[in-house]
Amino acid sequence: MFKDIYNQASDMPISIIFMAIMLTCLGLIVLSSISTNQFDVIAITTFTKQLLFLIPALVGFLTILFIPKYMIHKYIYAAYSLMLMLILVPFLFETIAGTHRWINIGLPMGVQPSEFAKWIVVVALARYLSDHNLQMKKFMTILFPIFIALVPAIIVLQQPDLGTAIILLTPILPMLYWVGARPFHLFMLVAPVLSIATAFHTISFTVWAICMGSIIYMTRPRLIFGVVFYFGNIFLGLLSPFLWSSLRPYQQKRILTLFNPELDPLGAAYQTIQSKVAIGSGGFLGKGLGEGTQTHLKFLPVQESDFIVSVIGEELGFITIAVMLIIFANFILKIVKLAFLAKERFAGLVLIGIGTIFMAHVFVNTAMSTGMIPVKGLPLPFISAGGSFLVSCFIMIGLIMKMGDESIE
Amino acid sequence: MLKSKNLVPRSRFFVANSVIIFVFIILLIRFFHIQVYGHNEYKKRADINSIRAIPTTAPRGMILDRYGQILVDNYPTYILTGLPNEMGNDNKNFSVISNCTAIDTAILIDNFDRYFRGRFIPSRITKDLTFDQLSCIEEHKHELTGINYIQFPERSFPSDVHMSHVLGYVKEIDRSLLSIMDDTEQYDAGDLIGWRGIEKQYENILRGEKGLTFLQVDAFGREVGTVKDINDIKPIPGQDIFTTIDLGLQKTLEKAMSDYRGVALVTDPATGQILAFVSSPDFPPDIFTGNTTLREWREIVNDPTKPLLNRITNGLYPPGSTFKMITAIALLEGLMIEQDEEFECAGIYQFGDRVFKCWKVSGHGKVNLDQAITQSCNIFFYQAVQRVSLNRFINLCRNFGFGSKTGIDLPNELAGLLPTRDYMNRRYTSRGWSRGHLLNLALGQGDLLVTPIQLAVYINKIATRGHTFIPHFLLSKVPEKTISIGLNEQTWVNIQEYLFHAINDKHGTGSAADPKINGLNVYGKTGTAQNPHGDDHAWFVGYVEDGNQMASTIILVENGGGGGKIAAPLARIAFDYIFNKKIENRLAVK
Repeated sequence: MFKDIYNQASDMPISIIFMAIMLTCLGLIVLSSISTNQFDVIAITTFTKQLLFLIPALVGFLTILFIPKYMIHKYIYAAYSLMLMLILVPFLFETIAGTHRWINIGLPMGVQPSEFAKWIVVVALARYLSDHNLQMKKFMTILFPIFIALVPAIIVLQQPDLGTAIILLTPILPMLYWVGARPFHLFMLVAPVLSIATAFHTISFTVWAICMGSIIYMTRPRLIFGVVFYFGNIFLGLLSPFLWSSLRPYQQKRILTLFNPELDPLGAAYQTIQSKVAIGSGGFLGKGLGEGTQTHLKFLPVQESDFIVSVIGEELGFITIAVMLIIFANFILKIVKLAFLAKERFAGLVLIGIGTIFMAHVFVNTAMSTGMIPVKGLPLPFISAGGSFLVSCFIMIGLIMKMGDESIE
Repeated sequence: MLKSKNLVPRSRFFVANSVIIFVFIILLIRFFHIQVYGHNEYKKRADINSIRAIPTTAPRGMILDRYGQILVDNYPTYILTGLPNEMGNDNKNFSVISNCTAIDTAILIDNFDRYFRGRFIPSRITKDLTFDQLSCIEEHKHELTGINYIQFPERSFPSDVHMSHVLGYVKEIDRSLLSIMDDTEQYDAGDLIGWRGIEKQYENILRGEKGLTFLQVDAFGREVGTVKDINDIKPIPGQDIFTTIDLGLQKTLEKAMSDYRGVALVTDPATGQILAFVSSPDFPPDIFTGNTTLREWREIVNDPTKPLLNRITNGLYPPGSTFKMITAIALLEGLMIEQDEEFECAGIYQFGDRVFKCWKVSGHGKVNLDQAITQSCNIFFYQAVQRVSLNRFINLCRNFGFGSKTGIDLPNELAGLLPTRDYMNRRYTSRGWSRGHLLNLALGQGDLLVTPIQLAVYINKIATRGHTFIPHFLLSKVPEKTISIGLNEQTWVNIQEYLFHAINDKHGTGSAADPKINGLNVYGKTGTAQNPHGDDHAWFVGYVEDGNQMASTIILVENGGGGGKIAAPLARIAFDYIFNKKIENRLAVK
């Protein structure tokens, strides 16, 4: 009998809210631990800030819930245009922490419009892909959606914020896949990126060139097209050292230190090393809340946002990390299931896009904290401190509820 | 179109799920690998990260004289340090400090760089802060970042003797020194290390052992408290050293020598202990502490009277007539001379194509060995020494310790120069020198160079009939024997008698050395050593005994002229001091 109740509950999109609340609570617990050693003049700690941000988050969530689905569909392009303008606004202000990410609204904390761009791009893409009865079997038809994501991504990249720019681009592929694009076409999208990425090492580039050749051979496109595509990519790979030099030094450094952490012991690699030490020293059960030396002696950098998972690992141990990852996995699987079950293409695409965004955040954040990928400043959804992102996350929860549950309509 | 159908193949849903599950499994494995598999190693890393062991200096041992009067002490001074990580890059800190201390910014920065050991370790900026300077810095504290002052034990010299060559000095270890040191286990930059003299010789005794304070530090290297479960290791202070020096005697002789360039050395032949050690001119011992300016320092280095030279162990001199006993012993030992055999001294002596002169131009007339030493007749020895072979003469010199280091407990002693046959052949080729060389040696001239400490061993051997000990400063040291000589007892008796006559005979050249104390027998020999660089050096070597105790002295006055006139009276001052104060009572005190 209990099993039936559980099954019913887990089929309802309402379980999404439960999981979000559980993760938010975990975040608050960890932030309160971090905050015990903060001695600000005013009594605003990271913890109390996060608690306060739950109010606009709730407002955002409810607002989305009360906007009819057709309204979202109708006005999303307008919202998209507004968003483009807003992410340009920070360039008018002086830099904060060396970047143009925040809009100063006269409060102790700024608003980061690029956080909202994430789901606006997803909804805009969803509308475009569902509106046009697109011939997904044709390659050229999948190019325009890319621009929808690429424009804000390029602007965000100038702020500069490589992490968010990448997040803006990630929904494209899954969403195109979801609406039925040919895998080979998606491969053609990814190929240039891989050509650039592999070009820095002779062996990796050779392996890539062979793989690309075989895939093209197996999928048998027109001869002339196959040849042009193949050599176009090779040429791009050869050009990439020049593209490399156009990257900002700190981005270059971050990528380099992934491959050789000893290059820069006090820079990006220092962060990775300290993060791994924190996670590893936590062990299976953790050192206990408030007992993490890496955390409280400030060896861990940006511990309240980018490296919050290291704090969880140090103080609460592998057991909590495992539970957290399982909740995240269920959370995302649930979103995908809702996307599959959705009756309208628009709703399904919004869900898939949002699922991708959550997935990308969780993966990039945890993989970065464990030294699997270069350091990218990306927060962990619901858990990391950060007002704009928390609000954005709850708006996305609202969207999931909206798109996933027909009964709300 | 909002209402377009959501037609997704099940296969694509399956692929999406697989990708998600795959990614999360990878992440779980990664966390498991780090947290469970690698836990021990990372735990260690975390501990090393946050626990810092700060060495605590052990106070250096004091250096005392034989009665426990303090020669070298520790005195707390304040030093100013800066933590590089907190200081920032501008030179604002330095200019504020410069305003308070009136020390040039360039010097401050130079100091800071010299002691720099890392971003999280305080580096020294300046020291010897006065109370006024400290309060000025305290007033401007808000303008300073990462600046702190700590107490530091500095060497101080409460007695007003110099003894700079004996005591030596300590040096603060800076970065350049640290990079060339072997023993970096024991030392850190900013520590003191004995660099010269006793401070260096007995570094192991004086240094003590550093302690460790364990501190919890944060990522910025800031102390945030003590570490649970680990107890600090307390430093073990260095041991005090009792030296053999008699502070009063030292003071007396330093004062007596203050007008001269030269040496006054008093030892106890029976033990090898050094009672007074004056190499004049010297320098104040505290010159290496405090902020000695470069100019003052250059003055000392470039001083033509060479105050930095330890004349007793590192000054090389011709011994002059004080060397005549060697010839006498060689003759007596070889039975090559009769006690009453006489040689004629006409004030001048021709040997081959060279003419040798006596110091007494009119000549001594007929003299025997006794009188030759008593009156220091040169001509007698020019003639008598010809009966001795050069090798035999040199061997005897070696047995008395010439040509090799005495083994005194001071670093960097010189061995002097004993011109053996090999040496002469090398220097002048086998044809370039003649037997006239031996005639020079007999009078302690020629290529022969000795250090005053070698002469002390020489006279101590005569005083103890060959049973003396290596001169030393450490009172607790078990005296080490010098190489044995194995002469006939009668030879010793004769030589001592001649030396007694040299003081007490009416013709004796050294009579000025006698303090005329009842029961005190004075023995000695003057010397007036010719010296190619200027006026003659005045020598006196001798010893006294009153039946219980002995003391020997070596006096040298550079370019002083006649040994009997200049050096002997200085010896009297030493003898007078010791035996008027009843040395037997005082030596008993340890």
